[in-house]
Amino acid sequence: MKRQLLALAIALPLALAGCGRDNPNAAMDSRDAAKTRAGSATPGDLGPPQGEPINAILSSPPMVPPATGRTAPAKVIVNLEVKEVDMEMSQGVTYTFWTFGGTVPGSFIRVRQGDTVEFHLNNHPDSKMPHNIDLHGVTGPGGGAASTFTAPGHSSQFTFKALNAGLYVYHCATAPVGMHVANGMYGLILVEPPEGLPAVDREFYVMQGDFYTTTKYREKGHAPFDMQRAIDENPTYVLFNGSEGALTGDNALKANVGESVRMYVGNGGPNLISSFHVIGEIFDKVWFEGGTKYQENVQTTLIPAGGAAITEFRTEVPGSYVLVDHSLFRAFNKGALAIMKVEGPENLEIYSGKEVDSTYLGDKAASLAPVASAAAATVAGTLTLDDQVKAGQALFAGTCSTCHQADGKGMAGVFPPLAQSDYLAKGNDALIGVVLNGLSGPVTVNGQDYNSVMPPMSQLTDDEVANILTYTLNSWGNPGGRVAKDEVAKVRAGTERSEGAAH
Amino acid sequence: MMALRWRLVALLLLALPVPGLAATPLPGDSVYLLEDAFSDQSGKPFTLAERRGKPQVVAMFYTSCRYVCPLIVDSAKGVEHALSPAEREHLGILLVSLDPMRDDTAQLASVARKRKLDPSRWTLARTEAGTVRRVAALLGVRYRALADGEFNHSSALVLLDSEGRVVARTERLGPVPDPAFLAAVKAALATAGSP
Amino acid sequence: MRRTSALLLCLAPALAGADAGWAPLPGGEFRSVLRYEDTGGVVKVAPFDLQRRPVTNAEYLAFVKRHPQWQRGRAPVVFAEPRYLERWTGPLQPGPLATPAQPVVQVSWFAAQAYCEAQEARLPTWSEWEFAAAADATRADARSDPAWRERILAWYSVPSGRPLPEVGRSPANLHGVQDLHGLVWEWVEDHSAMLVSGDNRDQGDPDQMRFFGAGALSMDDRENYAVLMRVAMLSALEGRDTTRNLGFRCARDPLPTKGKTP
Repeated sequence: MKRQLLALAIALPLALAGCGRDNPNAAMDSRDAAKTRAGSATPGDLGPPQGEPINAILSSPPMVPPATGRTAPAKVIVNLEVKEVDMEMSQGVTYTFWTFGGTVPGSFIRVRQGDTVEFHLNNHPDSKMPHNIDLHGVTGPGGGAASTFTAPGHSSQFTFKALNAGLYVYHCATAPVGMHVANGMYGLILVEPPEGLPAVDREFYVMQGDFYTTTKYREKGHAPFDMQRAIDENPTYVLFNGSEGALTGDNALKANVGESVRMYVGNGGPNLISSFHVIGEIFDKVWFEGGTKYQENVQTTLIPAGGAAITEFRTEVPGSYVLVDHSLFRAFNKGALAIMKVEGPENLEIYSGKEVDSTYLGDKAASLAPVASAAAATVAGTLTLDDQVKAGQALFAGTCSTCHQADGKGMAGVFPPLAQSDYLAKGNDALIGVVLNGLSGPVTVNGQDYNSVMPPMSQLTDDEVANILTYTLNSWGNPGGRVAKDEVAKVRAGTERSEGAAH
Repeated sequence: MMALRWRLVALLLLALPVPGLAATPLPGDSVYLLEDAFSDQSGKPFTLAERRGKPQVVAMFYTSCRYVCPLIVDSAKGVEHALSPAEREHLGILLVSLDPMRDDTAQLASVARKRKLDPSRWTLARTEAGTVRRVAALLGVRYRALADGEFNHSSALVLLDSEGRVVARTERLGPVPDPAFLAAVKAALATAGSP
Repeated sequence: MRRTSALLLCLAPALAGADAGWAPLPGGEFRSVLRYEDTGGVVKVAPFDLQRRPVTNAEYLAFVKRHPQWQRGRAPVVFAEPRYLERWTGPLQPGPLATPAQPVVQVSWFAAQAYCEAQEARLPTWSEWEFAAAADATRADARSDPAWRERILAWYSVPSGRPLPEVGRSPANLHGVQDLHGLVWEWVEDHSAMLVSGDNRDQGDPDQMRFFGAGALSMDDRENYAVLMRVAMLSALEGRDTTRNLGFRCARDPLPTKGKTP
């Protein structure tokens, strides 16, 4: 009952206001009914175009055209040029790409559901091959491919109505299709839902593709296409936006802390599925497969070959975030790597950076030299304060520092500090007693209450205890002092060890 | 030299606006620029340029075609019937055979008789094999001879204006004409007809 | 066109030029990549002669000198689109972008046909071309060799911004024919017979009325992308079209033994 009320409560305002994609599952039916004109037999058909025809704004990756801002269906004219271009795929490596709009991926097209799109495909006279286009957002034979078969130096035109909202791949479908796609002939077309997408601070266009060459990865020179590798689905390169440098270094995507970011991510293939992940970020929302429903709190999302996804997240912390295909050898050995640089103030509560760099005593013997020399000095009767401090430091690390930390600061509410601790005023005997016999139960140090258990450290020898305590007293701004070996011996003899502790 | 001669002729003929006479050179996009020889269902030879002056509905067919070609004839008839008698006067219908080897004059005449095609308007033509390929290229018709004597071919009605330029085409066949094509035919007849 | 062909009969050897040598091809049964229902993919090619090399700018210049109606600017647009011989400096001056030994390009099918008819020849049919092109230096049919395919694909992936190589640079194949691959696309007589849908993915789905019988065509040997692309290219073209990468050569039925030309 409660769910139905909730659904109704959500659906009603959505149906009235026609806004928000926040809970699509509940609102779907009522929204569709509101959107489809009465009398129109085709769902998604919002009626005839209104107003003057508009020339679509196309953008080159990684930029995205601005939101259409339209509230009624329009006639949109799209002019897309096909060019065969030599470009760099990796430093010093060139490849003959076949492109829509001179880039890989091709120009980003943005229209609104219900728009009538008059599509012009223009094949540059320098092209060697005929080309066409299949837009996954088109309802019609071949997605337009049959109507746009275009010889070099010619232009084809066809018109379609964008009936379905979503993010769709487009690609060339001329025989052999795999080769045309492998050479970079793909891009994205966004069909906005009638109410538009919520505004965000940044929108980016990223598209993954796999590339097949007769040359090895990063082998310099011109890289010819390798049909056999393509058939074997064994790419040489797996790249975002057509080259290793497309989105790295100076070309990295840029955002600021505290911004909302939306990425339109496509996968042209031709063969591989992408496991898309941004290292250090979690996608707040993923419109998986570029459709109408979204999932939340996603780490890695699958993008099928010939598919797309929309991801959204907020930037909280500055740094470089790496976009990868989480099939890791593709990221690190084939180039499936892009960077987003986020700039702005630190936020240590969310991410502190490295907090502790303690010595991890993998090999205890090597670091205990001062202890040995202190022992020798004791025997010789020449033990100095400095010897003790040095020996104590070596012993402190790994034994006491585990809880009290290397800087003696302890852990708030858990382990009391040793640095500038008022407990030290209790005197040597008390301190020795704590080290030998442990300490449990409530205790107040520097005004803070602790109620923890410190285990007895009676396995330490008198020397060791003396040196550790001497080091403690002389570090981190503590008042100084010295503990001698026989003091420790006296406390050891005069107090009781707890059960299980060493003598 | 040739161009000069034509210009002189044109000047002379300016005072005599006789429709149908080749007073001026054909426009560069006219199909009638093909000079090859044809012959009709009565065996009379002609060139395409002689059809200048009257808009033409043109198609390609062959007489032993059992499936689509009868439909092509029906489609042309459909256009014919949808016109007023006055309009019909100014229209020519030309069917060119894809199969000159087997479609001899007698064969063409037989079809014309069977389908009651008015010879004052309908021309069933044959020409040499090389010319067939050229005409098809000019009309945008694609075809291929099959081993059994049949042909695979695209089926279209093409409208030529009175100067022989392609102004419309339709691939919608059937006795009820494609409305857009019919409208184009009427428009062509309106501009061409009457001095 | 017809009047002048008689005149040309005597001039044919001279017009043909030094390098328009003819290679005899034996013909035979041949497995085509275009598998039409009525032939089951097996095509019978009758013996024929094929020019060893594509027609050059020099040869084409000689042709337009003798047939002025085919000069750029005079050839009507219905036979040759506006880009006909666009890169020639003038109607009778090929110029630096069209050197004498480079293959002539930006010629339409009608123009190519006219040239071949002027040589008492014709354009090769697709089957004849495919037959000749299947050979490499040692084998009549090298198409199953991945190396053969890769070589061809390598040319397809190079854009045409670079100047065309001269004819005759590549080694002759088994039949003595050169440059069938790697230089230019070439016109065939029956390119309009390739009833291929622009979208090669709908193989089993013919639009019956549009291409009557086209459901009978399928692209056999889908791995043979090299040939597939050539088919795609030719079926995209109309007779008056030209492109910067499209030239031609002529074919003819074998002459009786007492032939005129070498």
